[in-house]
Amino acid sequence: MHTSAFRIGTICLAALIPGMLIAVVLFLALYSWPAINFNGLGFLFRDTWSLGNLYADPVSVHGAQVPIGAQYGILVFIVGTLATSFIALLIAVPVSLGVAIFLAEGAPPRLRPTLSLIVELLAVVPSVVYGLWGVAVLVPLIAHYIAPGLSAVLGFIPFFAGGSPTGFGLLSSSLVLTLMVVPIITATVYSALLQVPRPDKEAAYALGAMKFEVAVRAMLPMVRGSIIGAIILGLGRALGETMAVLMVSGGALNYLPATITSPISTMASFIVSQLDSAEQDPTGMAVRSLAEIALVLFIITVIVNVIARMITKGLHVGLATRA
Amino acid sequence: MSVSQLALEFPRLRGRRIRTRIGWVLSIFAFALVALPLADILILVTVRGISAISPQLFLSATNGISGGLLNAIVGTFVLSGGALIIGVPIGVGAGIYLAEFGTGSFGFVVRFLSDVLTGIPSIVLGYFAYITMIIGLGWQFSALAGAITLAMMIVPYMARLTELSLRQVPLSLREAGYALGAPERKVVFRIVLPPAMPGVLTGALLALAISVGETAPLIYTAGWSNYVWNGKLTHEPIGYLTYVIWSFINQPFASAHALAFAAAFLVVLVVLVINVSARLILFARA
Amino acid sequence: MQTRSSETLLRRKFLLGTLGGTTLGLVALAPRRAAAADVTLLETGSSLLYPLFNLWVPKYTAMHPGLRITTQSTGSGTGIAQAVSGVAQIGASDAYMSSPQLKKSPGILNIPLAISAQTVNYNVPGLNDAGIKLSGPVLAAIYSGKITHWNDPAIAKINPGVSLPNHGITPIHRTDGSGDTFIFTQYLSFSTPEWANSVAYGTTISWPPVQGGIGAIGNPGMVQACGQTPYSIAYIGVSFHAQIAKAGLGTALLQNRDGNFVLPNPATVGAAASALEAKTPPDQRISLIFAPGASSYPIINYEYAIVNSRQASPVIAAAVRDFLTWAVDPSGGNAPEFLNVVEFLPLPDKIAALSKAQIAKIR
Repeated sequence: MHTSAFRIGTICLAALIPGMLIAVVLFLALYSWPAINFNGLGFLFRDTWSLGNLYADPVSVHGAQVPIGAQYGILVFIVGTLATSFIALLIAVPVSLGVAIFLAEGAPPRLRPTLSLIVELLAVVPSVVYGLWGVAVLVPLIAHYIAPGLSAVLGFIPFFAGGSPTGFGLLSSSLVLTLMVVPIITATVYSALLQVPRPDKEAAYALGAMKFEVAVRAMLPMVRGSIIGAIILGLGRALGETMAVLMVSGGALNYLPATITSPISTMASFIVSQLDSAEQDPTGMAVRSLAEIALVLFIITVIVNVIARMITKGLHVGLATRA
Repeated sequence: MSVSQLALEFPRLRGRRIRTRIGWVLSIFAFALVALPLADILILVTVRGISAISPQLFLSATNGISGGLLNAIVGTFVLSGGALIIGVPIGVGAGIYLAEFGTGSFGFVVRFLSDVLTGIPSIVLGYFAYITMIIGLGWQFSALAGAITLAMMIVPYMARLTELSLRQVPLSLREAGYALGAPERKVVFRIVLPPAMPGVLTGALLALAISVGETAPLIYTAGWSNYVWNGKLTHEPIGYLTYVIWSFINQPFASAHALAFAAAFLVVLVVLVINVSARLILFARA
Repeated sequence: MQTRSSETLLRRKFLLGTLGGTTLGLVALAPRRAAAADVTLLETGSSLLYPLFNLWVPKYTAMHPGLRITTQSTGSGTGIAQAVSGVAQIGASDAYMSSPQLKKSPGILNIPLAISAQTVNYNVPGLNDAGIKLSGPVLAAIYSGKITHWNDPAIAKINPGVSLPNHGITPIHRTDGSGDTFIFTQYLSFSTPEWANSVAYGTTISWPPVQGGIGAIGNPGMVQACGQTPYSIAYIGVSFHAQIAKAGLGTALLQNRDGNFVLPNPATVGAAASALEAKTPPDQRISLIFAPGASSYPIINYEYAIVNSRQASPVIAAAVRDFLTWAVDPSGGNAPEFLNVVEFLPLPDKIAALSKAQIAKIR
């Protein structure tokens, strides 16, 4: 079969995606190479980020010109990124599945478009508006009610104790991320649930299952692939989310979060907040180290995707052998 | 015997009923958990933003920290429109490839990298664009750089969502088309794509929403301008609504805050209108 | 199938057409200046200087049709970086450039436009109206986590008779590249050798880890964080005095080099300025922090316009020169009608003359 011009056309368009990615990765890697050399592997495990003394003359360390005392370590930001994304997904996945089931099976069909619209609207609210609302409403709420409440109920676990004097921190960032991730997962799972063929549903009903059981026990497993895909998309959004987290995270520097309400910084929010400071460094090592952070964030995203792929592949194999 | 009588006799059935009830309650609760913050956000933005709405808002540009929002409104249109013009064809084309022809290793690679691309923080793309287009190509702050950066962000979403919706179309439809002797182009555009349009349109709308709402990449590519766009694609910065939200809320003047909330209100309103229009389109087809 | 898809296509074309038409309509409606004579300048940088620029620009551009000046509040670090790279014509910064930076980019001018000050504000319920006294060493200890509670003996010692609460202090710092951080940390460095040797000063520094310490963005971010967090402390530019008052924050009296505790007002700021005015070198890169004098306020600084002496074209250079000349003139930008709103002080005559000499170098 000869390859049609149409097929070639779509291949070219599809090739732009890897092309874009390769361009960005190459740029990041080449640009941050001097920083990678200077920082070494300890970059990932040091919890101190210091630009050094920018107003004194630079010195030569390991063959590179850097300000005196410059030391770059991003453990704090890695922990912040992973913790916020993890907690956000922990809350978002059950909530999203609940909403998707409610929309697909529980809500009266006439109301479905309106109700699903409400969920989609969460997706279209811009990140800065979330940040705005977070600062105006969520942060005070956490400071005055949620944090003390958590401390009272779960205070025996040190992670939840202590309340929060400011409300800015891990909890506020995670909650904002949850709201941003839920619509992505819900919309995908909802449309997948809608596509489940009627005969399959009817078979479950015929076996005597109740509506909710049909939804959870029969339909959800059928759309498992969509669910995993949706979670990855959601995780992607969470890992890369910048502005909203920037406004409510508290901007921690040089210390790891001790409780769920501790201020944190994520890698993405750190890059934004530090880019102009880093440009103050005449040796340029600071901006290159920021580019290195971007590279690390990128690598983490890739690893996450690989693991998710392996899970999805495993599931498909399992289903195939059962049939 | 009714189900309730059965339930009394069979404890397992009763247990299942209870669990089902709890399940529905929980799912309704989940929905409330999602709907309430949304309502709160809309109320906050409307109440604070409406006080700044006046005809003046749409007729004059920002003047430092007060004035109107004309430059930002036009700028958002231009940047998002440009992003869609560039990004949607590429994304849909890639999605078509993935769904129709992408079963091999190249398809796997594209799919995988598409997911990865959605995970790149917008600031990284913005910085990349800053170094390559603003400084490297010498465009300075420009509308074109902003539009291209936004397009880079929406292409992977479009591709994946297009693929997911095309996948839902049953294989039998395609086979029927090919059996009738139709070329690939016709099968895709005339047979497979139309039933998947709701999904593709939803994808395009999500893409538009992302474009309208982005801030971080535009700060380093489009810059900011207090003047209405004069049509120059390069060498001229351009304003956009999200910058007003992000930056003006940080100013000590009440007029700036009002503008920030007004901008937030406008952005949310525009996005709402887009969504509702999309729904109307989708339902007109049915 | 065919009818449906063409219906959808028609609808979409209609929508797109309406969208495009509306845009073009809006663009056409907007008042436009003469395209040919337009000169566009971009000012970006310090959030401390931003309110003042927003007072200047409307006034000045009204007098000069054809000139477009866009202002941005992005932080002193960005102001310097973009002035150096040429993306912005005027970079606003509370901090002068460092010698290594100038060595890398020679020909960049640091031109003072006005004199501003910084306040240290706190939010201690009950004490926000009374002024708490603080000194450089005490602040350094707070920001390095050595003093953790408001009723610490060191604070109590300099505040006799004030009942300080037994509550933890939340220190708030700037996360963005900030001229405010620069002048605040200079105060800490000049007054506390321990801080100077460990942390030093800069627009961005490696803040010592203090559990619960908050990073805020921009001056109003500082005001907001401080206002929302009881028992917190922050450093905020004086042009935000109205917001500070609205948030009900307390202003600390700071200990100056002579040992006296002073609040910022025209008298104390002026005293500090005149103490160091004579020492200002021709390139005007000098710190006004911790000035000697019985009544000098310790945290004051020149607000700089960072400008490349080589501009893209003679037309742009002339536009920049004219604007900056107007800005430093007591009958122009340095008039009370502008400076009083932001509580800045005008440049002393000698300094203004030095600034004008630097402005003349812009080509």
